[in-house]
Amino acid sequence: MHPAVFIGAAVSLGCLFALQEWISSRFWNYQIHLGLLLQAWGVQYFIWGVICWVIWWKLNPQINNATLRTMLTFFLPLSIAVGVFEEMIWILIFPTLPHGRPPMPYWRRLAFVLDGEMIDNIVLFWCAFFLFRGLGYYQRFREKERAESQLQSQLVQAQMRALRMQLNPHFLFNTMNGISSLMRSDVQAADLMLEQLSRLLRITLHRGEAQFITLSDEMEFIEMYLAMQDRRFAGRVRQQMSIDPHLHDAIVPTMILQPIVENAYAHGLSKLNSEGLLHIEATADGSRLCLSVTNNGLGLHLTPPNGKSKGVGLTNVQDRLRMHYGDNHSFSITEIKNNTVQVIVTLPLQLSERPIEKSTRYGVS
Amino acid sequence: MIQAVLADDEVLARQKLRQLLREIPEIEVAGEGATAAETIDLVRATKPDLLFLDVRMPDMDGFDIVGELSNGSQSLPCIIFTTAYDRYALRAFEINAVDYLLKPFTLERFRAATERALQQIKAKQQNPHAHAAKSQNGSPYTTRIVFKSKGRILFLPVSEICWIGAEENYVRICTQSETHLLRETMAHLEEKLDPSTFLRVHRSSIVNLQYVKEVRPEVDGEYGVLLNNGQKISMSRSYRSRIKYWLDR
Repeated sequence: MHPAVFIGAAVSLGCLFALQEWISSRFWNYQIHLGLLLQAWGVQYFIWGVICWVIWWKLNPQINNATLRTMLTFFLPLSIAVGVFEEMIWILIFPTLPHGRPPMPYWRRLAFVLDGEMIDNIVLFWCAFFLFRGLGYYQRFREKERAESQLQSQLVQAQMRALRMQLNPHFLFNTMNGISSLMRSDVQAADLMLEQLSRLLRITLHRGEAQFITLSDEMEFIEMYLAMQDRRFAGRVRQQMSIDPHLHDAIVPTMILQPIVENAYAHGLSKLNSEGLLHIEATADGSRLCLSVTNNGLGLHLTPPNGKSKGVGLTNVQDRLRMHYGDNHSFSITEIKNNTVQVIVTLPLQLSERPIEKSTRYGVS
Repeated sequence: MIQAVLADDEVLARQKLRQLLREIPEIEVAGEGATAAETIDLVRATKPDLLFLDVRMPDMDGFDIVGELSNGSQSLPCIIFTTAYDRYALRAFEINAVDYLLKPFTLERFRAATERALQQIKAKQQNPHAHAAKSQNGSPYTTRIVFKSKGRILFLPVSEICWIGAEENYVRICTQSETHLLRETMAHLEEKLDPSTFLRVHRSSIVNLQYVKEVRPEVDGEYGVLLNNGQKISMSRSYRSRIKYWLDR
């Protein structure tokens, strides 16, 4: 801390004491000049301010770590020495004091003043001592609190990252398995799927570890994923998408829809031989964004929604929603009519301020 | 017969190009280069029409090769980049490469790239001093757009765009086979495109007249534009005068 803080605080305290003494002198009918009082008290406390600052500056670590033994063997003698030292300086500055007594030699005056003020001085010293110690505790406490909250947020970040990264390999291996099976029957199709997978990976790499993206980016990914699934299911599933154009820039957690769509295929659409229908919709309802994925298939009776059968994907989606939005979101999975399942996610609607894409250029050749 | 040179430091990559080129009878492989130096010598010796070029070569990158070749007296071949990196796409676009194939690419994608290269080579052979159409301020209208979409880089000739629809802060560019969402404004696109081909028929749509099958009056005195692929685009009253002019042509 700046020395002005110590000196300013100490001198103000001194002036208050001076004022108090002046008022009491009026009360008890003895005459003493306010100017002189202010000088005497002001200087006394100015010296204390300097002393406190020096102690803070030089001894703060020792004060904070002092054991009872150090207090007795080092600080107690120090407090006496400082008390005496302060009075020695003060007496030098004011040769006419103590007030209303015949002139005395220096040592007599020192003895006189110490007699009256030694205990005050020691108390003052120890007040400063414990104040500094308290401040030290407080600072350490704040430091710890900050470190803890930082750790907490890092932990949450790490958990989110882990959850987000859990999805990539999961999805990757499934697709590779698809390619591996196509290789034996249809080289062209396997080649195409490999290219599609590379494109998906490229997009994923570009996103890095971003936790949030725009809905248009999420849908770009979904469209590619759907193109791949369409190839796998050879047109058995009709895919419909209706995205309100106002929502292209809405901010959503990365890979929030992909696991839901994957789930729709894995537990519903893959069980059908024809007439599959998958409908993805994004609408806004006031300040809420509502995403829904509807598919037909088997319904929910074979796959209890809260049972163990819920895949890694949906659990992951719910965990991430809870982490990002707390109670400010909803997730539901219901059988809306016979054998048709609908997943609805609602989130707070936020729009991103996306700049115009820099990678688009126009040219003539 | 069109001559092509394949430049890639990886044997398997060159092999793949060779295999895919077997499907395209108009193109004959004149030679293969595994390093930049080899490629430069080969291009100078064989004067190919088409060069398949990897960006990352052990001794120089693909752009250095292009730079080296343009210092020579002969004209540059058409260039198709083949690379695993997407970060050089804009540079490739700026040096007028025909296409930019990201590895791994499929036969279809490869076909589309070579198709464009063949068109360009034929056009150059027929009319070596052709110029693009000029806009009012003297700068030529754009003939192709580069953008990233769905994990690919597209050097899309505007002639392949059927129509463009506005979606709030985005535009949706529709070709015969797919649609792409771009962060662009209709107004900006409209001024880039040649108005003799691209017509604004609605506040939120621009059509490419090459793909318009017919314009038919609707029941309520409005008009609808019918595209070759069967898609219908409505037209607003305020834009009808433009289409009238076109109908009377």
